[in-house]
Amino acid sequence: MTEIENYLAPTTIAEATEAMAAGGVVVLAGGTDLMLQLEGKSDGTTLMNVRRVVEMQGVSVDGNRVRIGALASVSDMMSDPVIAETAPVIAETADRFASNQIRNLATIGGNICNASPAGDMIIPLMLLDADVELSRWNGGKVETRNVPLDEFFTGPGKSVMAADELLTAVSYARPAAGFVAGFDKTGPRPALEISMVSVGVAGVRSAGGLSSPRVAYGSVGPTPVRGHKVEAAIDGQTLNDDVVAAALVAADEDVSPISDVRASDWYRRHLVRVMTQEVLNNVANG
Amino acid sequence: MVDSIQKETLIGKAITKPDAPDKAVGRTRYINDMVLPRMLHAKIKRTDRPHAKILRIDTSKAEALAGVQAIVTADDTPMLGIGVNKDNPPLKKDKVCSIRDEIAAVAAESEEIALKAVALIEVEYEDLPGLFDPVEALKEGALQIHDDKPGNVGLSYETKHGDIVAAEAESDFVLDEHYKVHYVTHVCMGPSCVIADFDTDGKLTMHTQTQYPYNYKMDLAPALEVHPGDVRVMQPPVGGAFGSKLDVYPFEPIAVYLAKKTRRPVKLTFSREEEFIASPTRQPAQFHIRAGVKKDGTLTFRDIDAVLNNGGYTSWGATTPYVMMRTFTGHYRVPNVEFKSVAAYTNNPYAGSFRGYGNVQATYVTATVMDKLAEAVGMDPIAFRLHNAQEAGEVTPQGSKLGECALGECIEVAAEKTNFLARYNENAAEQDTPGRYKNGIGIATSFHNAGGAKIHKSDGCGTVVMLDDYARATVISGASEIGQGIDAVLTQVVAEELGIPVKDVTIVNNDSAIGPWDVGVHASRTTFIAGNSAKRAARKARDRILEVASKQANVEADDLDLRGGHIVQANNGVPVVKLDKMLRGLHFAGEDAELIITTDYYEPPSEHEGDNHVGDMSAAYAHGAYIAEVIVDTYTGNVNLHKLTAVQDVGRVVNKLGIEGQMEGGIAFGIGYGLSEEMIIEEGIVKNPSFRDYKMVTPPEMPEIELHFIENVDAEGPFGAKGISELPTIIPAPAIANAVYNAIGIRFNNPPITPEKVVRALMEKAGTMVAAE
Amino acid sequence: MSQTVDITLNVNGEARQVSVAPTLSALNMVREMLDLTGAKMACGEGECGACTIIVDGQSVNSCLMFAVELDGRNVTTIEGLQSPEGLDPIQQAFVDHGAIQCGYCTPGMIMQTKQLLAEIPNPTDDQIRRGLEGNVCRCTGYTKIFDAIHDVASRTSS
Repeated sequence: MTEIENYLAPTTIAEATEAMAAGGVVVLAGGTDLMLQLEGKSDGTTLMNVRRVVEMQGVSVDGNRVRIGALASVSDMMSDPVIAETAPVIAETADRFASNQIRNLATIGGNICNASPAGDMIIPLMLLDADVELSRWNGGKVETRNVPLDEFFTGPGKSVMAADELLTAVSYARPAAGFVAGFDKTGPRPALEISMVSVGVAGVRSAGGLSSPRVAYGSVGPTPVRGHKVEAAIDGQTLNDDVVAAALVAADEDVSPISDVRASDWYRRHLVRVMTQEVLNNVANG
Repeated sequence: MVDSIQKETLIGKAITKPDAPDKAVGRTRYINDMVLPRMLHAKIKRTDRPHAKILRIDTSKAEALAGVQAIVTADDTPMLGIGVNKDNPPLKKDKVCSIRDEIAAVAAESEEIALKAVALIEVEYEDLPGLFDPVEALKEGALQIHDDKPGNVGLSYETKHGDIVAAEAESDFVLDEHYKVHYVTHVCMGPSCVIADFDTDGKLTMHTQTQYPYNYKMDLAPALEVHPGDVRVMQPPVGGAFGSKLDVYPFEPIAVYLAKKTRRPVKLTFSREEEFIASPTRQPAQFHIRAGVKKDGTLTFRDIDAVLNNGGYTSWGATTPYVMMRTFTGHYRVPNVEFKSVAAYTNNPYAGSFRGYGNVQATYVTATVMDKLAEAVGMDPIAFRLHNAQEAGEVTPQGSKLGECALGECIEVAAEKTNFLARYNENAAEQDTPGRYKNGIGIATSFHNAGGAKIHKSDGCGTVVMLDDYARATVISGASEIGQGIDAVLTQVVAEELGIPVKDVTIVNNDSAIGPWDVGVHASRTTFIAGNSAKRAARKARDRILEVASKQANVEADDLDLRGGHIVQANNGVPVVKLDKMLRGLHFAGEDAELIITTDYYEPPSEHEGDNHVGDMSAAYAHGAYIAEVIVDTYTGNVNLHKLTAVQDVGRVVNKLGIEGQMEGGIAFGIGYGLSEEMIIEEGIVKNPSFRDYKMVTPPEMPEIELHFIENVDAEGPFGAKGISELPTIIPAPAIANAVYNAIGIRFNNPPITPEKVVRALMEKAGTMVAAE
Repeated sequence: MSQTVDITLNVNGEARQVSVAPTLSALNMVREMLDLTGAKMACGEGECGACTIIVDGQSVNSCLMFAVELDGRNVTTIEGLQSPEGLDPIQQAFVDHGAIQCGYCTPGMIMQTKQLLAEIPNPTDDQIRRGLEGNVCRCTGYTKIFDAIHDVASRTSS
C-alpha cells in the first residue's frame, strides 16, 4: 500500500490513457466509492481526476446506439431526454439510487468500475445488453475495445478491465419496438440501502408474456448476474401460474446469495422469488 | 407610558430556541468545531480482539513519526478505574476484555499524523477464549473475565412485594414467556469529542460533551489524581447526547494524560466507526416473565428473572434495573411482584445510560404481556387495560405515588381518537383471509418518573437570576443544554415571572466555574427541576422588586404586578413605573444601592429508595398511551408504520414547540428500537459500525404523528409541568409489536421486528417453513 | 513529498484560491482551510447529509467529494445563504417551526432543502420526504422539518 503523492487532471481520453500506461494511477470520477476506499492508503501514487475529460461526458446517439459517457451522473439519467425516450428503466433505477446528494456525484462509469454486486445502475444496463467501452494507450494512440456488460464482472470488485484501461463509456442499441423493462430493489431503508436484493426484468411484450426476455439480479451473487435460467423458462411463453412457478424455481438456480449483516441468504432467496414475480408481472402486463 | 397592560401568559406558547438562529446559519461552534491555540490531536489505539492478555506494547515506531508529541500507555497512568463500578482503567495494562479497549493513545500535530502513529503501534497478545453469552458467563466453571468479580457477577438487584405464590394459586391463567431485547446505540450526530487543557498553575479545563458537569468532576478526578475542585468543566454546544454522556468514559481521562504530558491542549474526536464500536450502548437484557390474571381480568402477579449482558466493564447500563423494577411493579396495578436481575460480565461492549433507561426494555415486556393476558381472558385490549389501570391517589408497591394518575384517561382518549376497537376487531377478522397487505392497530402504555429521580444524594438544581440596568435578565442555571431545549424553557419561565419579553432573558449554563450545581440532564427531570429552580429564583427577584416598588409607590406589594416590562397595578394593569427605570434607581441609590440578584436551590420533595427498593423517588409521574397503525407486507415482511397517535399526561405544556419536538424525536428512537435499529455483535465484534448498516429512521420512514396532551396540572411542577421526554422512546416499540399481532396474529418477543423475522414467522405459522426450497 | 494542487473556486460569492492535497475532501477543505465550519463531519460515508453543500447548483456530500474537483466551480455552503437583510426564508422557517434541536444536522438539512425547493418549488409531502432521504436527524423526528418546508413552499409559490 502506498500513498497518493501526485495529481493529474487530463482533459482528453488520450491524455488520461497515456498517463495510465505509466502505471500507479488511481482514477477519480465521482469519488463516492473512492473516498472511502482510499482512507489514507491506495494502490497507486497518482490521483487522476477525469471529471474534465469532455469525451467521457454526456449522453449521445450514434446511429442505432446510445452512448452514455462514463462521467454521466446518476442524476443525469433522471433528466436526460435520450434516456427517457430509449430506456426509461435507467431513469427508474436512478430514482431509487441512494440519495439526491449521492446521485449528483456518482457516475455511471464509477458504478460499473466499482464492480460491486450491488451496483444498482448495472442492472438496467444488463437488461439492455449494454457494452462497456474500455480505452487504453497503445502504440502512441488510444485503442478501444467493447466488452458486453454480462462478461465484464469476474468477482466482487473485480472485472476484466486491465490496470491500464479506462472505462470511457457504456452503450446500448436502441431497443426494439414493444420493449418494456422494470426494476425493483428492497431493504428497510428505502433509498440509502445498499440493495439487499435488486431485480430487473425486460423483454418484448408478446402473447401474454415476454419474448427475448432479459433478467438481471444484484446483491445475490459475487457479481450482478443475468438470470439466464429464468429467461429460458419464460421466453415467449404466456405467463400462467405454471410458467411463473417454473421461473421462480429457475431464479433460485440463477442466484447464489450470501448471508451478511444486511440479510441472510435465505431471506435474499425469498426476496428474489417475491420480486421476480412482481417485476415480471408488472413488466409483462404493464 | 401605555394605558393598561393585560396579563398574558407565555406558558403554553410556541417559543423559539434562543440558539436556533445561530444554528440555522452555521455560526454555532460545536465542540467538534473548536480549535484552541497550539492544540494537539489525539487518537486511541484500540484492541482488535475481545479477550486477550497483553504481552507487549511497542510504541517506538509511532514515537519516531514526525509530528507525534506524546504517546501514553497504562504505565503512564495511575491505573485507577472509572465508571460505576470503578472497574474500567482508561488504558488497559494486562488484558483486554472487549473490542473497544484502549491500549495506547497518541497526541500529534494533526489528526492524520495521529492516525498514522496509531497504525504504527505494535501490540502482541495472547488470545483468550471469549465469553459472549451472559447466561453462559454465569454458569459454574465459566471463564473468569475479571479476577475480582467471581462468577462474572456484576450488579444484582431484587425487589419483592406481596405473595406471588398465593397470587399464582388465585390466577386463572398464567403466562410464561421469554424475551430478549437487543443492543442499540445513541448515534449522536456529533461524534464523541473532548478537549483537555491545563493552565500553567496545573488547573484543568475540560471542554466536554458531558451531561452532568458537576458530578462529572467527582468521577473524573480520581483517575487523574487531581482534586475535583481544580477541574473546570466547559460545555460547548454538542450534536446530541441522549444519555451517552452521563458517565466518564476512557477517552476523556486519556485526553487529560496527553495534555498533562505535552502541556498543550489535546482534542480527541471519534471517527464514526469508532463511535459505533466504543460509545456505550443501551443495555440489552433477557427476561423470563411469569404473569398471572384472573378470568375477570384482574392482574394477580408478575415474577421476573432478568439477565443483563454487562460487557467487559460496568457503566450505567448495569443499573437500569432500578428503573425496570419500577415498571414491573408499577405499570398497571399488580400487588404481587418479584423481580431479580443479575448483570454478567462478558467480552462484549458495555452499556451506559440511554433515554428511557431500563423502561424501554421493561415496557416492551409489560406492554406486550398486557396484550397477551387480555386475549387469554377474552377481554378487548382497551377494557382490559382500563380494568387494571391505577386511579388517582394510588401508590405502587415500590412506593411511587401516582398522584392524579392519568393512565385511564390516556387510554380512553387514545382509543377514541383512533376509533381503536372497531378497527382492531376488523383487522383481527382479516388476519387469515387471503391478501398481501394486512392492517394492524396496537396500543401500548407506560409510565415514567416525571419529577426527577432521586438516585444521587441530591436531585436538585441551582439557579442565579440577575437583572441589569435595562431590565434584562441573566439566568445562570446548573442545567445543561444538549439540544433538548431547556434554554427556551428557562427563558419562558423567568420571563413569565418577571413580566419581561422572552428575548430579554439570557441563559448561561456552560461553565462550572460560574454555574451552580445540578445533578445532570437525565431522567426527564430538567423542565421540572431546573424550571422550578429558575421559577423560584425569579419569584424571589419579583418579590424583592415589588417590595421596593410598593414602598416607593406607597401601595401594598400584593396590589402590584410585573407585566410588559413595567410594574403595574395588579387589578387594572395601569403602569406605575417602567421596570428598567426602577432598577436603575435602585442601583444608583447611594448607600441603599442594590442589585437584584437572587438564587435558589430546588430539591424536589422525593425520597431515596429504602429497603426493598421502596421509596417515592420522583416528585411526579406521568403516563402515556400510544397507538400504532401498521400495514404488514406479508410477502416481503416489511412493516410500514404509517401513523402513530401519542396521548401523554404532560401536566402542563410549557413550550409548545419544544414539547412537540421532544415527543416527535423520542418517537423516532422508539420506532427504530422496534423495527430497524440493531447493533449486530458477533463474538464481541460490532459487525455494522456504520450509518449504512445501522438502520435509523430516515425522513421517508417517519410516520404521521398525532399528539394529544393531557394537562393534569401537577401541583409541584413549574406552572404544572411534568417531565416528558423519555416516554416517547419507550412506548412506540411495544405498540408496534401489538399492532403487528393484530395484523398477522404473530408475536415478537425479540425486537427489532425486521422483515426477515416477519417472513420466517409467517411461514412457520403457515406450516410452510422448510429449510430449503 | 506530496504534491499540492492549486485550485480556484467561488465560495459563497467570493473568489478563493486554495492549495489542497490531492486526497483532501471538500468537507475538510471548507472546514479547515476556509473556516466554514457549518458543514459537519457526522458519518463520513455519504449516508447522513450533514456535510451537504451545493456545487454548481447541485447538492453533494462534501465528505465524499474530492476538493480538487471544486476547481472552477461555484460552491455554496450554509454560511452563504443569509443575506445582509436577514436569514434565508428556509433558515427562518426552521427557527420558527422548532425544526432545530441540537442543530448538528441543520446546515446539511437546510442546504438540501434549498436544493429540493429549487427543483420542486411546491413539493408534496412525499416529495419532501424523498428529497430529504439522504439527511439524517436524530433529535427532531423530522416532523417539524417537514412543517417548515411546507410553510416556505406555500409562501413563496403563492
